[in-house]
Amino acid sequence: MLNSLGILLIASVIVWIEVPPLLKKKQKKEIIVFSILLAIGIGMSMTMGFGISIPNPAEFLSFLLKPFSEGLTKYIN
Amino acid sequence: MMDEKINSYQFLVLVIFFTIGTSILIIPSDLASQAKQDAWLGAIVGTGIGLLIIWLYCTIAHWFPHLTFVQINEKILGKWIGKTVSVLFVFMAFFYSAALMYQSGSFLKTHALPNTPMAALNILLAVIVVMGVRLGLETLARSAEILILVFLVLFIFLVVFVSPEIKIVNIQPIFEAGTKTILRSSLFYVGVSSLNSIVLLMIFPASLNKSKQGKTSFMMGNLIGGIIIIILTFLCISVIGADDTARQVYPGFELVKRINIGEFIQRIEGIMAALWVITLYFKTTLYFYASVSGLAQIINMKDYGPLTLPLGMIAVFLSLLIYPNIIYQQQWDATTGFSYTLTIGLFLPIILTIVYAFRKKLRKKKRDS
Repeated sequence: MLNSLGILLIASVIVWIEVPPLLKKKQKKEIIVFSILLAIGIGMSMTMGFGISIPNPAEFLSFLLKPFSEGLTKYIN
Repeated sequence: MMDEKINSYQFLVLVIFFTIGTSILIIPSDLASQAKQDAWLGAIVGTGIGLLIIWLYCTIAHWFPHLTFVQINEKILGKWIGKTVSVLFVFMAFFYSAALMYQSGSFLKTHALPNTPMAALNILLAVIVVMGVRLGLETLARSAEILILVFLVLFIFLVVFVSPEIKIVNIQPIFEAGTKTILRSSLFYVGVSSLNSIVLLMIFPASLNKSKQGKTSFMMGNLIGGIIIIILTFLCISVIGADDTARQVYPGFELVKRINIGEFIQRIEGIMAALWVITLYFKTTLYFYASVSGLAQIINMKDYGPLTLPLGMIAVFLSLLIYPNIIYQQQWDATTGFSYTLTIGLFLPIILTIVYAFRKKLRKKKRDS
């Protein structure tokens, strides 16, 4: 619980730093990209804060590159 | 923020830091585990191969002296394929910046601050990394200029005071491992130090005020970094011994513990850890800079500033998630990480070269007929 409050606090500080200058310059695309990334960041950190395990992107990369890396290790050895 | 320029000396310093980066921590043990007492020969071979690869990067950069790597991709491969390839490249840079945060966190946690949670250490590193990238390349390069002096002084100190402990017996018999083993052992070092320098193509032609001199400083920086790694590997093997070096996770740190000046100044590894922290910081920051500015260029943003803080947050999260433990990290780095590096760092530049040569020929034919 405390973790998630901390994450929200950090996220609000980030919004407080970044958003006013973007609004002033009316950069729409920047604001959209910024909010998507921040939402991903908050969402991912929340899962960790609540102790929910989510799939590891490193495993996903291993799965994608498996044929290549296996062939490579075979070749090298 | 995009049109910042650094001079070739500053670029040289950044390349040195990037080449040394994590290699100073992990490479001696990796080399020693395969080539035994010939690990230092492996480091020499690796530096040689690395220089060839840097030469390839310089050639690519030479064709488009005003574009970054993401823009070069788009120019050579066309809009959509170029963007897809660039996304892979940016993801690699971002993933490795998170991986380096893990490495620095686990290094500090194992050796200096065992009771601190790793999240706190990673957040501390991420804060200065994000700060560096937000302040821009120029500020970063100037701080590198100052810190290279600190680094070199500490390194010379290390070499001078550890050299009385050298036992030549440890490196004998020389060349026992054979050419094949030495070549094979050097591959991982080439991956970590030289193939990953493809992220420096985000800086190299575009952000240098004189891009012609940049080529020499790219090669020189890689060479100087390689020499430092060779010296360190040699010291590790000759002082600690090949078997012990292979067994350590951070053999360089073990080496520093052996410093003993007149039975009085001992155990100064806490100060010497600055060597690792400085180089790790710059390598992480350069990865992070490449990923942030690359992403901004893929989606045609004018300024990468707004992306830094959210991406920093994701990087901290990733650094805590991707490696459950250090065994997994070593295994992953040696297999998947190495093949990812090889794909982006070697095959992609070669494909770019072929496509560019083909297009040039086609254009010439069109002009002739």
